[in-house]
Amino acid sequence: MRFAEFASRYLITIGGIGTILAVAMIFLFLVGVVVPLFRGASMDGAEEAEIERLASEPLHVAVDEYKSMAAILLRDGTVRVHRLDTGEELQRLQPFGGAGGGAGADERTLTALSVSPEGDDVAFGFSDGKLHLGRFGFTSAFPTDEETPDVARDLGPGAIAVHAGKIYVLTTEGKLRSQSFTLEIGAPIESQANAAIRLIAHTSDDATAVLAGFTDAGRIFYTKTRERTNLLTGKTTYASDDYELPLRSEDAAPAFLHLNGGGDSVFLAWANGKVVRYDVRDPSAPLVAEELDILADPAAELTVFEPMLGQATFIVGDSRGGLRAWFTARVDGAPTTDGVQLLLAHELATEGSAVTSIGASPRTRLIASGHADGGARLWHVTTNRLLATSPGPEGEPIEAIVLVAKEDGVVAATRVGLLHWAIDPRYPEASLAALFRPVWYEGFPAPTHTWQAESGTDEFEPKLGFLPLVFGTIKATFYSMLFGTPLALLAAVFTSEFLDRRLRIPIKSSIEMMASLPSVVLGFLAALVIAPFAQRIIPATLAVFVTLPFALLLGAYLWQLMPSNRAVRWAGWQRLVSIGVTLPIGVALALWVGPVMERLFFAGDMRLWLDGQIGTATGGWMLLLIPLSALLALGFGVRVLAPFVRRRSSAWTRSQCARYDLAKFLIGSLLTVAIALALSAGLDVAGFDPRGSVFDTYVQRNALIVGFVMGFAVIPIIYTLAEDALTSVPEHLRLASLGAGATPWQTAVRIIIPTAMSGLFSAVMIGLGRAVGETMIVLMATGNTPVMEWNVFNGFRTLSANIAVELPEAVQGSTHYRALFLAALVLFAMTFVLNTVAEIVRLRFRKRAYQL
Amino acid sequence: MTITADPPPAAQAAGTPKRPRKKALRTTSLFAHGEPMVWLTGGSLVLAVFMIAGLLGLVLWQGGSTFWPGAILHVELADGSAYLGEVASKSSFAPEESRLEALSDEVAERARTELEANGGLVDRFQLRTENFELTNVHYRWIEDYHVLDRSLPEWALLVERNTWGRFYGTPVAFRLDGATIATEPDEVWSRFQEHHDKARARYHARQSLETHEIGAVNRTLEDARLHMRAAELAEGRDSERWRRAEAAYRAAEEEANGAFTRIRREIDALNTENGRYELVLETSDGVEKALALDEVVRIFPANQLGFGGKLSVYLSRWWEFLTADPREANAEGGVFPAIFGTIAMTLLMSLVVVPFGVLAALYLREYAKQGTIVSIVRIAVNNLAGVPSIVFGVFGLGFFCYVIGSSIDEVFFSAKLPNPTFGKGGVLWAALTLALLTLPVVIVATEEALSAVPNSMREGSYACGATKWQTIRRIVLPRAAPGIMTGMILAIARGAGEVAPLMLVGAVKLAPELPVDGVVPFLHPERSFMHLGFHIFDLGFQSQNSEAAKPMVYTTTLLLIAIVVLLNLVAVWIRGRLRRRFQSVHI
Repeated sequence: MRFAEFASRYLITIGGIGTILAVAMIFLFLVGVVVPLFRGASMDGAEEAEIERLASEPLHVAVDEYKSMAAILLRDGTVRVHRLDTGEELQRLQPFGGAGGGAGADERTLTALSVSPEGDDVAFGFSDGKLHLGRFGFTSAFPTDEETPDVARDLGPGAIAVHAGKIYVLTTEGKLRSQSFTLEIGAPIESQANAAIRLIAHTSDDATAVLAGFTDAGRIFYTKTRERTNLLTGKTTYASDDYELPLRSEDAAPAFLHLNGGGDSVFLAWANGKVVRYDVRDPSAPLVAEELDILADPAAELTVFEPMLGQATFIVGDSRGGLRAWFTARVDGAPTTDGVQLLLAHELATEGSAVTSIGASPRTRLIASGHADGGARLWHVTTNRLLATSPGPEGEPIEAIVLVAKEDGVVAATRVGLLHWAIDPRYPEASLAALFRPVWYEGFPAPTHTWQAESGTDEFEPKLGFLPLVFGTIKATFYSMLFGTPLALLAAVFTSEFLDRRLRIPIKSSIEMMASLPSVVLGFLAALVIAPFAQRIIPATLAVFVTLPFALLLGAYLWQLMPSNRAVRWAGWQRLVSIGVTLPIGVALALWVGPVMERLFFAGDMRLWLDGQIGTATGGWMLLLIPLSALLALGFGVRVLAPFVRRRSSAWTRSQCARYDLAKFLIGSLLTVAIALALSAGLDVAGFDPRGSVFDTYVQRNALIVGFVMGFAVIPIIYTLAEDALTSVPEHLRLASLGAGATPWQTAVRIIIPTAMSGLFSAVMIGLGRAVGETMIVLMATGNTPVMEWNVFNGFRTLSANIAVELPEAVQGSTHYRALFLAALVLFAMTFVLNTVAEIVRLRFRKRAYQL
Repeated sequence: MTITADPPPAAQAAGTPKRPRKKALRTTSLFAHGEPMVWLTGGSLVLAVFMIAGLLGLVLWQGGSTFWPGAILHVELADGSAYLGEVASKSSFAPEESRLEALSDEVAERARTELEANGGLVDRFQLRTENFELTNVHYRWIEDYHVLDRSLPEWALLVERNTWGRFYGTPVAFRLDGATIATEPDEVWSRFQEHHDKARARYHARQSLETHEIGAVNRTLEDARLHMRAAELAEGRDSERWRRAEAAYRAAEEEANGAFTRIRREIDALNTENGRYELVLETSDGVEKALALDEVVRIFPANQLGFGGKLSVYLSRWWEFLTADPREANAEGGVFPAIFGTIAMTLLMSLVVVPFGVLAALYLREYAKQGTIVSIVRIAVNNLAGVPSIVFGVFGLGFFCYVIGSSIDEVFFSAKLPNPTFGKGGVLWAALTLALLTLPVVIVATEEALSAVPNSMREGSYACGATKWQTIRRIVLPRAAPGIMTGMILAIARGAGEVAPLMLVGAVKLAPELPVDGVVPFLHPERSFMHLGFHIFDLGFQSQNSEAAKPMVYTTTLLLIAIVVLLNLVAVWIRGRLRRRFQSVHI
C-alpha cells in the first residue's frame, strides 16, 4: 500500500517531468543541429616534412585524397613523389625527357602547364610547340593476394608500408589499399604553333577540348580538338581546328593565360595587372571584349591569376598581399562585345604578405592561399570570408599550394619541404551574413538574396539566402490574415451578440470542425479546383471583394425600410436568411460586373493587362483605391454630412431616416467610385503603374488563392477564440448597457468589444501562428518559387514548404541540412513567441474579465 | 435582447406637445442600430458557413459520384472519326478565328451558327476515351460542332483492367485456345461471365505465389545471408562460425533455387491456363483488341444497366476502393494499405501519447506545487500546440530517424548496413513524431478533465482515509476518463489528418509491405507506410496523370474527411456527456 503510494508518486513525477523535458528537447535538439553551422573553420599548425632541396621552381603540387603522398612537378620537368608524413621520396620521374633525364627520344622540354581546377586534368605545352592533354594524379587500388608485396602483408590497421613507389595501408574495413602516383600523357595535339609554348590553358567536356596558349613567337593560338578513337587499332588521335587571336599589346609577354569554362573567352594577364579578355564565341573572328587593369595598387605586381571551380571566377593575387575574386557576369548595357563584363566581386584581402600561390577546391568555393612569408590562409570566396590563417615555418616562401579534394587539408611545397595543415572548413557557405544579407554569387551582376540549394551540376554553388523564404512566409501570412482576420472577427461578433441562441451551438461547432479539416485537403482543393476556377474568371474574382460588401450593405439599408415592429420580430433567423440570400446576389453581381470591368478598365483581357502588354494603369489603381476612397466617402459622410443631418433629422420619421440612409449609401457608393476613378486617372497620368509591384503577371497558383484557402485554416481558430473571448465578457455588463438604453450594436461596439479586446488580440495572434507555420496548403497551392515580390498573382515559397520540399533530399549533416534545421528553428521561434504573447495577453484578459 | 424604443401606435396619436422628443428618440434608434454593420458581421458568419458547406458539399458530391457508372457515349465526328467513352466534363469557350478557318466549310458553318446562337461561345465536352495503349491519351476534348451523331450503343463495355487503365469497346468475339467460339455480343458476354471468375481466381493465386511464396523464400535466403554477414562482422571470415554460416547460406541458396523453379512452374501453369481465354473487343475506330481475362478487374455494359445494376457497380467499386491495393500508380484500385497505415500509425501514436499525456497532466494538476514554474510549463505546453507541424517532422527526422534509428541500426542491425533498418522513416518514428505533436492536445484535455472533478470528491475520499494515489485511481481518474477519451480522440483526429511531418518521417507513395503482417515478428515498426493524407498529396501532385487521378483524390479526400469528422463528432458527443455528468455531480 505504502509502496504503491510511493511508486505512483515517483512514477508520475518522473513521467510528468520527463514528458515536459522531452518537449523542451525539441528546441534543444534543433539548436544543437543548427549551432555547428556557425562554428568557425579550424586549421591546425603546419607540419613540415623535409625533402631534398628542389632543383627548380615547383609548378604544381598534387596530393591524394587520403593525404598520404604528394607529387611535385618542377619547372625542369622532373616529378618528385614524396610521402607526406615523413617526406620520404617514393619516386622521381623524368616523364618528359629533356634536361634532367636526357634519355628521352625527343629533345624537347616541358614549357607550359595548365591544371584544371576540378581535379587531375592537365595540359602540357612543350618547347617543340606540341600540346598534350593528360592526367596528373593518384590511383587507389585494392591489390589481390598475388599482387601484394611481402612488406604489405600482415599490416596492422593504420600502419603504412612502402613498396615500389606505392603506399599500402590497411583500411578500417580490413581491406588492403594501395596508393600510387599516376601520370598519363595523351597523344600529341598538333597545333600551328611551331615555337615553344610559354602559356597554356585548357577546358574540356566529354568529347571536345579547347586549348589556348601563348608561344615564344608571340602568337596566341586557340585550338578546338575532338578526340577520335580508331576502332581498329584503339589508338586515340585528335582532330583540331586552329585559330589565332590578335595580340594587340606591344609590351612584354603576358604572365597568365586562361580560358573560361565554356571556352568562349580567353583571358590574358600581364604582371602589371593589365587584363585583356577576348570574345571567341566565333573563334574565326575573335574580338577583344574588354581591357582593364585589375590591380588597385599601381605599385603591386600580379602574382596569381588562377581560375576556381567551373573556370568562371578568377582569383587574383598580388605582391602586396591583395587577394580578389573577379568573374564575368551579364550586365545591362555592358560596353563589351558579348554583353558580359569582368566584375570585381569579392575583395578578400587588400594587403599583407605577397600571395604566391592559390589552391582552389575542386568541389566548392573554398580556396587556400600561400604567401611569401611561408604562411597559408583559408578563404571562402562567395561569402567573402577569411576562415583561418596559419603561419608556416619561417624563411622559405610557399611556391605551390593545393587544397586536398576532401577539403580536410592543405599541402604546400617550399623549396626545402612539404608543409601540411589539417583543416576543417565546417560550413563555410553559411554564416549569419551569408544567410540574411545579400551575397554576390558567381555570374550575378550584383549581390542578391537568393535561395537555390540544389542543382544537377557539380559546379553549382548552393545559394542559401534565407530572405526569399522569410519573405514568402510573410507574404502568405499577410494575404491570408488580410482575408481571414476581418471575416473571423466579424463573424465572432455576430455569433456572440446577434445570433439566435438556438443557432449558436450548431454554427459554432460546425466552424470549429473546419479547424480540424486536414490541410492537405484544403491544399488539394486550392490547387486543383479553386486555382483553375479563379483563373477563368479573374475579373469576377477581384470584383467579388467589392460587390459582396456592397450587396450586404445594400441589403441592410433596404432592410431598414421595413416597419420597425416587423424589423424587431424578424431580427432572428429571418435576418440571417436574408443575409444568406444577399451573399449569392453579391457573387452574381461580381460575375456580372467582372466582365464589364474587364472591358472598361482592363482593355478586355485581364491576363494580358496584368502582363503589362495592354491597357492603362487606371483599372489597377481603381481596384487598389476602392477601399481608400470608400473610407474617404465615409469620412465625408461622418464629418460633414452627419452633424448637418443630425440637427435636422430629429424631426424625421423612421422611414424617412431609412430612406435618407439608403440614398446616402447609394450616393456614397457612387462617390466612392468617382473618387477612385479620379485618383486612378491622376496616378495614371502621373505615370505610376501598380503593375510590377502588387499586380503583375498572373500565375495560376498564387497568393490570392493561398490567402483565400488559408482562410479556411485560419478563420476557425480566430473565430473560436474570439467568440470565446466575446462571450466571456460578463453578462451584467451587457445587460447594464442595454438597460441604459444602448442598442445591441452600441453595446457590442462600446462595451463588449473593448472589454474583450485583449482576447480578440490573442485570437488573432494564434491565428497568425497557424498561418506562419501552415505547410501543406502553401506547398500545394503556390508554385514554390522563392521569389521576392508582392505581386498578388504570383507564388512564393515559405519556410515550411521549403523544408517539406528539400529536407527529404538533403544529405544528413550537410550545410543544406543544417540550414533547413535553421528554417525549422526560425519557425519554431516565431510561432512560440506569437503564441506566448497571445497566451500572456489572454491570461491577463481572463483575469480582468474575472475582476469585472 | 433587442430592446426597441418604438412606442405603441396609441402613443403616437397622443398629445402633440411631446412629439418632437419622442421622434428624436425614435430616429436615434435607427442610426444607432448600426444595421449595415450588423449585416456585415452577419455576412461574414454566413460566408464562413457557406465556405465550409461549399467545401464539404464539393468533396461529398465529387467523391460520392466518382464511382457511379455513367453512360458510354458513342460520337461520330464530321471528319469520319468516332469515339467511345464517358463524358467527364463540359465547358464552353470562345474559339479563335484561326481555329474556325482550319475547319471544313460544313463544320465551320455549324460552328458559326452555334457561335451566334450562344453569344460568341461554343460548347465542348471532355470525353474519357482511354484505350491508352492504342491512343496514348486518356481524355479528349471534342467541340460540339464537330459531332454528327451521338448514340448510346447497347453493347458498349467498360473494362477496368490491372494495367493500362480502362478500355472502352464493343464485344466481337470470345476465343478459347485461339479459336473463336462466340461472336454475338450476348453470347460473348455469357461466355465471358462463365470464365471470368475462374480466371480471376487463377490470377489471384498467381499473385499470392509471386508475393507470398517467393517473398518467403527470399526472406529465408536473406536471413541466411545476414547470419553469414553477422558472423563475419563478429568473428571474421576465418572463424568456424562464419564457415558454418556460409555452408548454411549455400544450402539455403540451393533450396531457394529449387523453390523458385517449383513456384515458377506453378505460375507458368496458371498463366498457360489463363492464356487460353481471350475476350476480343472492337474500339470505336474498328481496331480489334484481345483482352486476357485475368487482366480484367471489372467489366459491364454500362448502357444496359438499370438503377440496380449501377448501384451494384457503384458499391463494388467502393468495396474495391476500401479493401484492395492500389494499381496504375495509385490512380486506380483501392487505398487499403493507406487506410491500414493510417490506422496503424495513429494507434501506435495513441499508445504512446495517452499514457505520457495523462502522466504529465496528473503531475501538473495533482502533484506539482502550483506556482510560477508550473504555470510557465503550462503556457509552454499550450504553445507547443501552436508550433507548426513541419517543425515536429524536422525534429522527428533528425532525432528519431538519424540519431536514435542509426544507433539502433549500429547495435542491432549492423549486418544489414549500409542499408538502414531503423535509420530511416518508419511507422514507429512517424507515430512518435505525431505523439509529440499531439501531446499538448492530450495534456490540455486531461488537465481540463482533472480540474473539472470537484475538490469535494477528493476531500471526501481523503476523509475516508484514502491515500493520494488511491484517490486518484478510484475517484479522480474514473471521473476524468471521458475527458481523457476526448483528448485522445482529438489527438487521433489530428494525427490522421496531419501530412507535413509524415512526409519527412516515413509516409511513402507505395509501401510494398504493410507494417503488420503474418511474418514473424508480425509487427514491423521500422517499415515505411502509406497514409491517406499523404496519398492525397501524392496523387494530386506527384502523379504524371493528375487528371486521371483526380477522381481518386476526391474519393480519398472524402474518406479522410469522413474519418476526421467522425472522430470529432465522437469527441463532441463524449464531451457533451461528460458535461452533463458533472452537472449532475454538482447538484
